[in-house]
Amino acid sequence: MSRRRVFITGLGMVTPHGSDPHHVFSRVYAGESAVRDVELDEPVSGVPDSVPLAPAHLDGKGIISKAQRIFMARASELAVVAAHGALGTAGLLEDGLGPGEAGVYVGCGLGGSEALQKAYRTHYLKGRRVRPTTVPLTMANGPTSHISMQYALRGPTVSYSIACASSAVALGEAFRAIRDGYQDVIVSGGTEAMLNGVTVSAWHLLGVLARPHPEGVETSSRPFDAQRTGIVLGEGAVMFVLESEERVQRRGVVPLGEIVGYGMGSDAHNLTDPHKDGQIQAFTAALRDARLDPEAIGYINAHATATPIGDLVEIEAIKEAFGDHAENLPISSTKAVHGHLVGAAGAIEAAITCMALDKRMIPPTAHLTDPDPALDLDCVPCIGRAVDDLEYGLSNSFAFGGTNAALIFRRV
Amino acid sequence: MKPYDFLAQLLVETFDVPKDKITPEANLTDLGLDSLSIAELVFDVEDEFDIEISEEDADFTTLGGAAELVEKFVEAKDG
Repeated sequence: MSRRRVFITGLGMVTPHGSDPHHVFSRVYAGESAVRDVELDEPVSGVPDSVPLAPAHLDGKGIISKAQRIFMARASELAVVAAHGALGTAGLLEDGLGPGEAGVYVGCGLGGSEALQKAYRTHYLKGRRVRPTTVPLTMANGPTSHISMQYALRGPTVSYSIACASSAVALGEAFRAIRDGYQDVIVSGGTEAMLNGVTVSAWHLLGVLARPHPEGVETSSRPFDAQRTGIVLGEGAVMFVLESEERVQRRGVVPLGEIVGYGMGSDAHNLTDPHKDGQIQAFTAALRDARLDPEAIGYINAHATATPIGDLVEIEAIKEAFGDHAENLPISSTKAVHGHLVGAAGAIEAAITCMALDKRMIPPTAHLTDPDPALDLDCVPCIGRAVDDLEYGLSNSFAFGGTNAALIFRRV
Repeated sequence: MKPYDFLAQLLVETFDVPKDKITPEANLTDLGLDSLSIAELVFDVEDEFDIEISEEDADFTTLGGAAELVEKFVEAKDG
């Protein structure tokens, strides 16, 4: 089967570091943390009143009307604003509408969890009827549908809800749909907004959230560090416009990057404990898909959420999959500064990987002041690194449930 | 606040209806509300006035008609 090249022509985002992609990258590269102490919107038994989180500032003014907001969960609002940015930078917005033939492939972990929380509160605490809008607000495909409706995009609308791998899979499947000739243009990425009291408390009670670090709450996400205690949850949305090479040439636009490989592997092991075999399978599949040797990869944006077990397993998997090259391969986890965006994690890290390649600047793993001796690879501690030669980068996303995805990008 | 005034304010502030279109005779569908929007409107009214309007009772088409219905439920509640 002939394979078409797939380019990134648009990028939009709403993240804990802001909405301008280059500004976001410069803050991430500087190791500036967006994590802060956030008071939960309601007290939950067994959980502190406030926890380290990385919230995003959402401003949909001029894009989303008040009447639309009634039917949109926060994840959908974030997604539409990010899609607006993506279509705008791609030069594909005409009178507020996008290309009608475009598909929409979006990842989202929990959908409108805040709507469900509100519905239960209405039912159990107030004894009143639950609003019928709870259904369209809660569904995980809400963000995809809202992007399609807002910009009149009538191609396939597909939603992926695969926990922390949701948007990496969405991007990978969109990449394949274009490469294999099913689509010419797709809006793809991820969104997540689960920083409501009940959802955060469930994560807390799962025992995977980071404790506030004594050096300051903003340093609580510490991937690869000996003092790492877990995940800092973040929120936001990142959307790309992907287009076929022919379409890019026809439109005469300059692409922001290229996706060249996508691979998946599954742990078949445990709902929450990772396993290196599934991760290695994902790396190997992505490299094979890109027709690259491991030595071609110049940077890995790790999944590394800063849980004690997760970071260890990922480093073991990288060592095994990349062999000797692992010793010379810069690996960083930018979750140290933007937190874990769960359903949008793959998308924000894909964007950071692309910009790192484009600028030849490898972002650091911030707060890595006390490296775990068991994680003895080059984890780019604290200081970003300018490099002369950087062509291919790989971004990892591993999900609860054991689904692993790896994407490979090329600088253009 | 009286039901009519509350509904008028809700339509302008939450449902983006232009102020000059607000009249008792205004048809809610003509104001741009679909069935799901009207259901949301009913729930907002219920929360405001602490009443419960069943689906069968929610039989109105105009802003004035909706206000009258709410008045009736409020009177019944207050005895």
